[in-house]
Amino acid sequence: MSQDFTQPISRRGALAGASTLALLPAAAAQAAGRTRYITSNNNPYDILDPHQVFDIGRIAIRLNMYDALVRWVDNPAKLEMWLAEKVDISPDGLVYTFTLRPNVKFHDGTALTADDVVWSMERILTLRKGAYGLFSDVVKPGTTKAIDARTVRFTLAKPFAVFMAVLSELWVVNSKIVKSHDKDNDWGAEWLTRNEAGSGGYRLKRFDPAIGFQAERFEGHFMPFGKGAIDDADFRVTMETATRVLGMIKSEFTTTDGYMPAEQVERMKASGNVWFKEAESIRTFYFIINSAKTPLNDVNMRRALSCMFDYDGFNNNILGGTVVRNPGIIPNPMWGAPAGLKGYTYDIDKAKHYLSLVKEKIRPLQIGAMSGYPQSEQAAQMLQAGAAKAGLEIKIVAEPYTTLAAKLDDPERAHDLIPLWRSAYFADPHNWTGFIFHSRNFKAGNASFYKNARIDELTDQALLITDQEKRRPLYEEASRILLDDAAGIFINNTKFYGPYGKAVKSVRFCPIGDTQDLRWIEMNT
Amino acid sequence: MKTLLRLFRDRALLAGFVLISLLVLAAIFATPLSNFPDHVSGFDPAHRLKPPGATFWLGTDRMGADLYSRLLFGARLTILISISATGVAVLIGVPMGLIAGYFDRWYSDLLMRISDVFLAVPQIVLAIAIAQTLGPAIQNVILALSATYWPFWARIVYAETRSLRNEVFIEAAIAMGASPLRVMVLHVLPSIASSIIVRTTIGMGATILAAASLGFLGLGAPPPTPEWGRMIAESREFLPQAWWYATAPGIAILLVVMGFNLLGDGLRDALDPRIRRGG
Amino acid sequence: MRLLALALRRFLWMPPTLLGLTLIVFSVSHVIPSDPARVLAGENASIEQVETLRRKFGLDQPLPVQFVRYVSDVVGGNMGISLYTQRPVATDLIERLPATFELALFAIALAIMLGLPLGVVSALMRNSWLDQIVRLVTIGGLAMAAFWLAILLQLLFSMQWNLTPVQGRIDGWGPDPITGFYTVDALIRGDLDTFLTALRYLFLPMMTLAIPAMATIVRFTRAGVLNVMNSPFVFYQAAMGLPRRVVIWKYILRAALIGTLTQIGLVFGNLLAGAVVVETVFSWPGLGTYAYNSILQSDYNAIMGFTLFTGSVFIGMNLLVDIAQAVLDPRGR
Repeated sequence: MSQDFTQPISRRGALAGASTLALLPAAAAQAAGRTRYITSNNNPYDILDPHQVFDIGRIAIRLNMYDALVRWVDNPAKLEMWLAEKVDISPDGLVYTFTLRPNVKFHDGTALTADDVVWSMERILTLRKGAYGLFSDVVKPGTTKAIDARTVRFTLAKPFAVFMAVLSELWVVNSKIVKSHDKDNDWGAEWLTRNEAGSGGYRLKRFDPAIGFQAERFEGHFMPFGKGAIDDADFRVTMETATRVLGMIKSEFTTTDGYMPAEQVERMKASGNVWFKEAESIRTFYFIINSAKTPLNDVNMRRALSCMFDYDGFNNNILGGTVVRNPGIIPNPMWGAPAGLKGYTYDIDKAKHYLSLVKEKIRPLQIGAMSGYPQSEQAAQMLQAGAAKAGLEIKIVAEPYTTLAAKLDDPERAHDLIPLWRSAYFADPHNWTGFIFHSRNFKAGNASFYKNARIDELTDQALLITDQEKRRPLYEEASRILLDDAAGIFINNTKFYGPYGKAVKSVRFCPIGDTQDLRWIEMNT
Repeated sequence: MKTLLRLFRDRALLAGFVLISLLVLAAIFATPLSNFPDHVSGFDPAHRLKPPGATFWLGTDRMGADLYSRLLFGARLTILISISATGVAVLIGVPMGLIAGYFDRWYSDLLMRISDVFLAVPQIVLAIAIAQTLGPAIQNVILALSATYWPFWARIVYAETRSLRNEVFIEAAIAMGASPLRVMVLHVLPSIASSIIVRTTIGMGATILAAASLGFLGLGAPPPTPEWGRMIAESREFLPQAWWYATAPGIAILLVVMGFNLLGDGLRDALDPRIRRGG
Repeated sequence: MRLLALALRRFLWMPPTLLGLTLIVFSVSHVIPSDPARVLAGENASIEQVETLRRKFGLDQPLPVQFVRYVSDVVGGNMGISLYTQRPVATDLIERLPATFELALFAIALAIMLGLPLGVVSALMRNSWLDQIVRLVTIGGLAMAAFWLAILLQLLFSMQWNLTPVQGRIDGWGPDPITGFYTVDALIRGDLDTFLTALRYLFLPMMTLAIPAMATIVRFTRAGVLNVMNSPFVFYQAAMGLPRRVVIWKYILRAALIGTLTQIGLVFGNLLAGAVVVETVFSWPGLGTYAYNSILQSDYNAIMGFTLFTGSVFIGMNLLVDIAQAVLDPRGR
């Protein structure tokens, strides 16, 4: 009886197995009942070291294989306790004492201790790469102490209201392993570039800088995984937009980037194989105006420029409504963005009026667009066309970001105008105001060379107090001043249209890293 | 058989001539021929990415500009780049080849070794590096191309001059006391002119291809310049729906380069009977 | 003896040529108004951070010092560290090499397999309709911009007909490297699926590179065969009453093919050059994309490493071609 019953099934099973295997080797992995999630992105995952890299493109490495004391989740982004379970902040805002969770394990099974946190901080301060700039002003080498295995204390050089916010970039590495791979006192930099030594929810299985990386779920993680959690994850580099779209339609990829042109979003929707997560991100698109040069140091010149840009044509026609008009520099959904802020509108007559008020001689201007970023080039063309209508000549130079960035230190070499994004590295209005408009940050963030005593005062003051409700009005005022002063041409805030294959049940979007933090993704099982 | 061959050759010459004439006409009369002369830098965002039709003959691009009009204005750029890049390359390469070939001194070898250095690496690689260094602009593309393509002329002129060096009429001219400059300009140059013309014609095609490649890689003219290679690069984000976007400039490049190649082949046969059989 | 002298002379010229090349590329890449230290440090870097990196990579030294240091390093087998990948340039190049060579070898094989017969037939049937078509295709193949051809093939084969992938070298991970050639490695491991997948990925970039290469080979072969056919030697053989078939096979083809085969080295060189653009379009993880990215990133060491490497390959290839020509066809010298 049992033989009669099993025989045909096993034979059929064998046949089916043989035929699928012949077609899709990947099916073998799925047969074992493991969920597989393939991300295809247009930026290389070439350096794995969480302390050498500080960008959005490679954030998946840090989010999934490493942990920090705190972590950003959801939209609007909230800061949650992560490796730490408790923090005590001294009344003067200088001493932060964290208590670590018990039983946090690295991927090799050893315990994560306060020593690892201290060593990671020192490593950042020594390597001086990646997120170093976030800490360099306030954390001095040797000031971070491990009180006991589970207690770590930071003593800041001065109050820094966003300290908690930027601690999300203090990724804790396994100090014993990394130390053992030290070469010529490099703090393991060469080794960690191609290897992983973290405690995160996923651990590295395979890595090739030209392809990407593969990771599997780390069952020993302190934070339990939910139902339908991803077992195996692949992050791959695929430069061509068309390939990524096609891969989504053919279900070869589970997800790809959420900032595609409207046409491609439509195409994926039409295929019926892709669903979208829509969210308003915090990533403002604007023109840097080089205020160090004449006549751009004249507020009326900057206002004139702000009236020459066809916001509606750009946001709704060129970008097909995939963005939201953002009149100020702080993204609309971010606290600190003033409600009801009224931005400039496309008005050639008004532009001419402002031009007539400019005292210095008006000269032809130059836009440095980021080549390889169509939106940046298109925005440059948009402003150029508007300016032509107002009788102002603008030239466009398209250069790779690397070349553009190299000139940002020097107001004389920097372009007059640069269209680009200001992404969220930490969800605090400081990211969009103090960091990029405070005059102390000339050559280190403030690429506009914009100087306004009131902005300096407001943003300094806001860093000294920790109460969000007290900081809010300061940033709101700063945002209004920056708009009135036309410190930049503020255009839009990005909307995220994340495409997902049908195998994905739900995702949780967070503006820091979009949906690349895999633990919040639920698969259909 | 021979006459048939000759006929085909002439037909090639004719085809090349027609194609290049079309390019020149398009460039000269770009303004009256185009439907939207202001779309060199202007556009209409409401009509972006429209397929070819009655209003936009070859469709529109990502900004809503008419591709047909932009293609016509791009012809001007194509001519400008190919003439000036090959022109400069000829001005560097020919004198260098002449001097190295005519004299047999220490610098002859040195000059040719210098040209070997430039030939030791793919032209496009050097051109990309130079263009990136100088920054994206038309004049830099021209510079990059002439800086990398001149050795071809130097080499051919050197070889031809060397072989002429012992010809009776050259030796006679020298014996009669003609200065080297005089011999080179009045006797050597006319004898090798046909080779230079043929090489230059084909070189024009090659520079157009190379310039388009630089434009495609984002190292050419900045937007909104209607450069053909750049137009193809812009289209990639919108494939496959906007199939027309890359098609029109791609065919334009193909026809023009083909035109120069055919013209060059035809001219070689007409001007230089010695190598006819070599094809 | 003369051959040996030629080879030796060419060989001796190699180091100065490469030195010259290094000098050119060095000057080109170091006048870039770009600051690799700044780029490397990242968007939020402080000034001192940038300065530290500048010192570390010796970018604060005068240019001649940097040049001498670089050359002596290279002589010692050290091509420096890539500013972008942060790894030794030599390691990067070696890792990327198999991808480019696999692609180039497949392309050249295809070009020869199609180009030789087409060229011969086209010459033997001169001015027939077949000849006309072959010549038209040849002229088109040589005039087509590689990047446009690539896009055209992507549009048709992958986006319209869904036959091949749009780009990339394999989906996901290649077979564990033995030779680094995915097709070969897959066969060695007996993994037919991976082999076929690798072939599907190879197809479009291979075609893109093979079409112009094939056009060149057809041209050379056709011209070579015609040349021999018109030579007094063949005329004499035919007059002696040898059957046409014998003349063709025994004399014409041999002579013509030898001429063509010596050109293949040069075609292969051009193919490596074409790879820079073609690999970029297909995101093929080879030397071409590496070079292109290095140029965009102003990654000096990587640019110079790549140029030196390609230069050596080029010069070596030319040397081989010259020797082959001298050996196979003594009359040509």
